[in-house]
Amino acid sequence: MTLNNAKKGCKYSITDITADEKIMKRLEALGFIRGTSITVLNKKKYGAVIIKVRGTRMALGKAITQGIAVTEASYEG
Amino acid sequence: MKDKNIIRVGFIGNPNCGKTTLFNAYTGANLKVANWPGVTVEKKEGNIDYHGHSINLIDLPGIYSLTSYSIEEKVSRQCIMDDEVDVLVNVVDASSLERNLYLTLQLLELGKPVVLALNMMDVVEERGMEIDLHRLPEMLGDIPVVPVSARKRTGLDVLMHAVVHHFEEMHVADIMRYDAHIEDMIDRLEQNIAKQDPAAQNLRWRAVKLLEKDDEVCALYPAIYSEIVDRDYSEDIIKAKYDYIDEIAEETLFNKDKKSANTDKVDRILTHRFWGIPIFLVIMALVFFLTFTVGDAIKGLFEIGIGWFSDAVFKGLSAIHAADWLVSLIVDGIIAGVGGILTFLPNIFILFLALAFLEDSGYMSRVAYVMDGIMGKVGVSGKGFLPMILGFGCTVPAVMASRTLENESDRRRIIMCTPFMSCSARLPVYILFSEMFFPKYAMLVSFSLYILGVVVAILMALILNLFDRHKGGNTLLIELPEYKTPNARTIAVYVWEKVKDYLTKAGTTIFIASIVIWIVLNFGPRGMTLDVSQSFGAIIGKWLVPVLRPAGLGMWQIAVALISGISAKEVVVSSMSVLFGVGNAASAEGMTQFASILGSYGFGAVNAYAFMVFCLLYTPCVATLATIRKETHSVWFTVRTLLLQLVIAWLAAVIVYQIGSRIF
Repeated sequence: MTLNNAKKGCKYSITDITADEKIMKRLEALGFIRGTSITVLNKKKYGAVIIKVRGTRMALGKAITQGIAVTEASYEG
Repeated sequence: MKDKNIIRVGFIGNPNCGKTTLFNAYTGANLKVANWPGVTVEKKEGNIDYHGHSINLIDLPGIYSLTSYSIEEKVSRQCIMDDEVDVLVNVVDASSLERNLYLTLQLLELGKPVVLALNMMDVVEERGMEIDLHRLPEMLGDIPVVPVSARKRTGLDVLMHAVVHHFEEMHVADIMRYDAHIEDMIDRLEQNIAKQDPAAQNLRWRAVKLLEKDDEVCALYPAIYSEIVDRDYSEDIIKAKYDYIDEIAEETLFNKDKKSANTDKVDRILTHRFWGIPIFLVIMALVFFLTFTVGDAIKGLFEIGIGWFSDAVFKGLSAIHAADWLVSLIVDGIIAGVGGILTFLPNIFILFLALAFLEDSGYMSRVAYVMDGIMGKVGVSGKGFLPMILGFGCTVPAVMASRTLENESDRRRIIMCTPFMSCSARLPVYILFSEMFFPKYAMLVSFSLYILGVVVAILMALILNLFDRHKGGNTLLIELPEYKTPNARTIAVYVWEKVKDYLTKAGTTIFIASIVIWIVLNFGPRGMTLDVSQSFGAIIGKWLVPVLRPAGLGMWQIAVALISGISAKEVVVSSMSVLFGVGNAASAEGMTQFASILGSYGFGAVNAYAFMVFCLLYTPCVATLATIRKETHSVWFTVRTLLLQLVIAWLAAVIVYQIGSRIF
């Protein structure tokens, strides 16, 4: 599934990212790569989210969250 | 070019990590800082002396990485690549070390001396986090690591000492290693680059950039690239760096999860799905409420002072038998114009104080998230709303802040819409006219203009979006800093800068505009004239009367005031005072007198509202036009923006007047 369908309060692990090059590079620099874990702190219905990644809070828009494939990573607690 | 006795120090780091605060602390400069990413968009320089060394400090825009995908990255990277700095001070937010170290690892690959300034150590301590200051430098190749607090101004001497020492030693750090395959390629790349380009420094960095398929570096060595690099290794390299950072975090950071509980609690309310927008509106309404009530209370004192000053000058000049024209120039021209503007200073002060609070608390970047839904409907990400809010203060920095938008066509749309947001210079116009013509509802009338500005800006964005073929999609991407108690010093600096700007404007632009207006009104084709209707001003203004008549503004004086307002919006008020010969327009008697003069021309409440709408929407000032041209590098775009503003202002004023005059 993709991040825009994620549930508030859950923890996920990134499996794949698709975005145009500019956004991709920025996400990579922020440490969004395969295997990075993400906690969803807040979410709007249409797909914008506030997440925590590598100790930083970020707000992401729908076009970005649609391109981030994730799996639930509850075992990491 | 390169002076050996001067050490050039570049401050580099992630957005919002406190580089500018640190820069200000050293140089005594008062550059603007705020608690949201992307405040500094250009590099700034300052010089200091430290124990006999001249040091040239360069404050660079915040970046996450040494790629070149955004304007900020290009500016910072260019500065380092062109060898404009001798030592890099990597400012890192210690409370968010994991993310900040990614840039650090890239800087270390450059092979330039790097000093790590661990900023916000006070925040780290407050939150009960601990950092192992012994192990951290060990893991970063023994570079100096200096804890500082830019806000509390601690550790500054130690940091500068480390800079000077490190510069003299030219110690280059030993850095992390990638896996054997990558290291092998780096070796071969380095050798080939050195052969082709013997002068090249930072070989390792160039080699890594080739592996990451960096456009600029690949263009330098196309042959080497195609000979050695078989695929894009950027993900492997990023992963290796972040794995190493995880290792560092593991060994040096303790109790890191304690820190964010409070921010999470506040965010649960402020970024709430339903309440987010209403809360934002209430906060903005509160800002304007304070601007009006508290500002007006202090304004009374200013009026008395200026009225007294004006009388004293008049009496003084009469006593020394100064020529009539000189008395008229000083009292009716300069004091009426400049003095009229100064009385609004308290309102401006309160407005900026409130905005400074919002910016320094960390709320601003939340607004980008809260407004993302609405902005998404007009085709821009929520980040596009930040320049618009800054437009409540001043349009010039607001237009510049559009640089943080990723997409160029989004950026141009926001630049076109931002001037419709009601800046502080329009405030005197609203205060004066709403208090004159709507005494009971002055605050409501003024607030309605602010709302109208937002609505027009958003509608404009929507319309432009329909015609735009290069849509950026909703690519909101913004860091949300931890909330913090606003810092008194930061706020004082911010507000003082704005007040100073306002006073400077009163002393220069408005001063000159008042003199020009006085000349234009007192001279005509036949020389100096006492009959204003024979003056140049009347002649010019009369041309425009037919155009302005449908908007209920068909008076030559108003035409002149509006033209003069293009120099700066406050000038509309000062010109009106001079044009109608009202000495102290902002005082109670002044207003009654002013309203009755205007009334005798058939200018009533509906005309006044149409006038305010026109002032809200037409070109804010020459400085805005200059900034738009500079930011877009396009005269044609600037001209289109100017025409758009004039047409929209005229249309809106006509609609208001035509409908209003039929109802009332």
